[in-house]
Amino acid sequence: MTASPTTEGTAEVPAQVFEKFLQALEDAGVSVELVARLRKTLLKDKTFTDRALKEAVLAEERLL
Amino acid sequence: MIRVESITISEFRGIRDLTLDFNGRSYAVCGPNGTGKSAVVDALEFALTGNVSRLSGEGRGEVSLKHHGPHVDTRNDPDRARVTAKVTISSLSKTVTVDRSLKAPAKAQVTPSDPAVLEVLRQVSAHPEVVLSRRELIRYILATPGKRAEEVQALLHLDQVEKVRIGLQKIANNCEKQVAPLATTASQARENLLRAVGMSKLTKETLLASANTQRAILNLPTLADLTESTSIKEGMAAPGTAKPQRIPKAQALADIGATRQALGEIASAPTTKRVAEIADDLNSLTDDPAVAGGVKREAFYTTGIELIEAAACPFCDTPWDLGELKMHVQSKIDHLEEVSRKRTAAETKIAPLIAALRKVQASINTLVGYAGLATPPVVIKEAHDYSTNCGIAIDRLDAFLPLAKTIKVLKRVPIVPQTVLDDIGELEKAIVALPEPTKQDSAREWLTVAQERLNVWRNAIRKHEVAIEQAQRARQVSDIYGTTSDKVLEGIYAAVEEDFETLYAFVNRDDEEKFTAKLIPSLGKLGFDVDFYGRGFFPPGAYHSEGHQDSMGLCLYLALMRYIQGSGFTFAVLDDVLMSVDTSHRREVCGLLKREFPNTQFIMTTHDPIWLRHMRTERLITGRSAVQFRSWTVDQGPSRWDDRDVWEEIDEHLRQNDVRAAAALLRHYLEYTSAELCHRLRAPVEFRADGRYQLGELLPAAVKQLRALHRRAKDAANSWNQRAVIEQVNARESDLAKRTKQANEDQWQVNAAVHFNSWDNLASKDFEPVVRAFQALLCGFTCSDCGEYLHVSPDRETAESLRCECGNTNINLREKSV
Repeated sequence: MTASPTTEGTAEVPAQVFEKFLQALEDAGVSVELVARLRKTLLKDKTFTDRALKEAVLAEERLL
Repeated sequence: MIRVESITISEFRGIRDLTLDFNGRSYAVCGPNGTGKSAVVDALEFALTGNVSRLSGEGRGEVSLKHHGPHVDTRNDPDRARVTAKVTISSLSKTVTVDRSLKAPAKAQVTPSDPAVLEVLRQVSAHPEVVLSRRELIRYILATPGKRAEEVQALLHLDQVEKVRIGLQKIANNCEKQVAPLATTASQARENLLRAVGMSKLTKETLLASANTQRAILNLPTLADLTESTSIKEGMAAPGTAKPQRIPKAQALADIGATRQALGEIASAPTTKRVAEIADDLNSLTDDPAVAGGVKREAFYTTGIELIEAAACPFCDTPWDLGELKMHVQSKIDHLEEVSRKRTAAETKIAPLIAALRKVQASINTLVGYAGLATPPVVIKEAHDYSTNCGIAIDRLDAFLPLAKTIKVLKRVPIVPQTVLDDIGELEKAIVALPEPTKQDSAREWLTVAQERLNVWRNAIRKHEVAIEQAQRARQVSDIYGTTSDKVLEGIYAAVEEDFETLYAFVNRDDEEKFTAKLIPSLGKLGFDVDFYGRGFFPPGAYHSEGHQDSMGLCLYLALMRYIQGSGFTFAVLDDVLMSVDTSHRREVCGLLKREFPNTQFIMTTHDPIWLRHMRTERLITGRSAVQFRSWTVDQGPSRWDDRDVWEEIDEHLRQNDVRAAAALLRHYLEYTSAELCHRLRAPVEFRADGRYQLGELLPAAVKQLRALHRRAKDAANSWNQRAVIEQVNARESDLAKRTKQANEDQWQVNAAVHFNSWDNLASKDFEPVVRAFQALLCGFTCSDCGEYLHVSPDRETAESLRCECGNTNINLREKSV
């Protein structure tokens, strides 16, 4: 029987998705700073509000 | 992650005081409806998560955990409503006690409470889906694709994934929405600059040449280049602070002309025609009653068309033609899609109007600035108010809904009040009356205004470029997120789909061994089609029976849980979920749980004793890993079929001289036990289609079968020349004979026992020997070491041994082959 077991403990599917997403951003040449900000928002702070996401995506432009 | 060793429930739901020892193994709670099984499930969920899902959340009305969790008699003392679970955490090699009361459901007392233990318990509490009821089971199968996606996403904890997806889409959409207005602003700034410098085309060379011409008049040095940081008025003396700012006459008159042109454009016949067309479009949408709640209605119709199954309306039972009704509802959905297209078309037509209004607004604002500089100031209040109204109109047209307000505003767009034109005329007169500037003043004004407008234009261009960059970046981020999350989810669904197929095919291997299924994620929906005997893929509810659908629900749940928790899937509560699995596949379900999830402790409830037997037969549960509830009272809670409890209860009735109650309980218990013994010993009983066997049919059959097994065991032992075994069986045979004789000691009592309906005419002292005789008789069916009833193994085909759970009694039944 084929299952796709994850490791012992709670499998964080959202974390898997976020990791893949950040990797894809890096591969697409998106700025390192933006990826770092999104990593902090999604994986460290785990805040998913529109405001937090906007801050992470547009922070550089807001300085202009 | 965990296994539950035991649970002690006090004053919780319908339970007063109950302890169940699971010993970390799978366990069954069996009993008729209303005997307290679900209260055990609630208690487990409460101990592990601090919540009881059936008492909380959507659709629970005024029922709440806080008020209705405690036993009804102690509802004002939530501290007494308490559940204590002893839990083993294998990864930490620890057994911990989790004690939780309804006084503070969120604060469990955990012993020991080191951080590693608390982290595991936190993870467990984050997964209330370890408790699955039949009510929840079907939601994975018969739900609409959108609802199913929600349910599965909740199980997979994908709400965060979806929230981020929506958030990033919103950011991208908002960024893109900002680009068009900024483009208009930049375009207007360019026109203003061109007007100020008197050019029809803007190039670096022509602007630089014109600027140097003006600078030459002021004897300023020639500029060699025009870069982003170049000031074309560099070196020009700043105006003194005491000297009021002058109105650049020529420029102001040009701006007045441009404003009139913009107003003329707004009031022109083409604009009026365009407004009329758009108003017609919007009116046609307004006339459509579906527009206002379009989105909600579309969802309603889509759900409705998926749920139209019966031949009559579920509300009023009016019969309908199924095909005709579906076509009717589909036409409504198609119509809403048409409405959506019309809206987009109308918004596209409105966009140029918004741009024209922005132009008018900006032009008038420039004139308002000139009016303030005039001496004495020229009041152009009407024009100023009109500019403000243009801003309001822009916002309304941009918002689009509600349509009635938009249409009202739209119709006023081409109307330019005469008072506005009068104001502009007054300002023009005041400016015309200004003395003509000298050549030097004119050059100074040219350079000043040109520099200002150059700055505005540069700023507008930069903002527009930034907005484009933002929009591109936000869209790129959103698209990449959409692509990668879809890919990950598709991978998850593919893995779950494959596991689901295999699990379901195992349960239904007799007729659906080649079963396949499709989980199809798309745009927040999760389609689910299953193969129906090779005839094609259909929704699960289309052709499969309800029992098969329940099997699918269970298999999908198990596949999802195995994916989510992997080897950490060590505990699950299945509350009555096995009940409606079709009878021919129940045993296979038990086998599936045993074979595929050997490391998972299942706590299962059922009101069907046949299920319990299947669980035992398939060795899903062993030994004393089951409790049989027989009744429930509000004062006592559940009472169970437990040897010690039953005999003590009978004795108590006799002490109270209540022979009627003692007799009823003994008869009931003997019926239950005799059925169990016949099943375990594979005793032949005359078949009854209704399955309602009487004690007189079952108990003698069990005794007769045990005697037969003894004889068979002796024959087998003789063939193997096992004298010791023969002696052992002889002893058991003799013991059984003695116990049977004891039960038959008094002929009239025996007759009463045969008829089983005269016991309640006896006095306590007469009935007590009957009780003891039957208690002793039942002991003859047990292992002297573990006290469990003996059973024949295997339960089908050729009998090989008569044995007990502990294995100390294991009597061979097969003769040596010659």
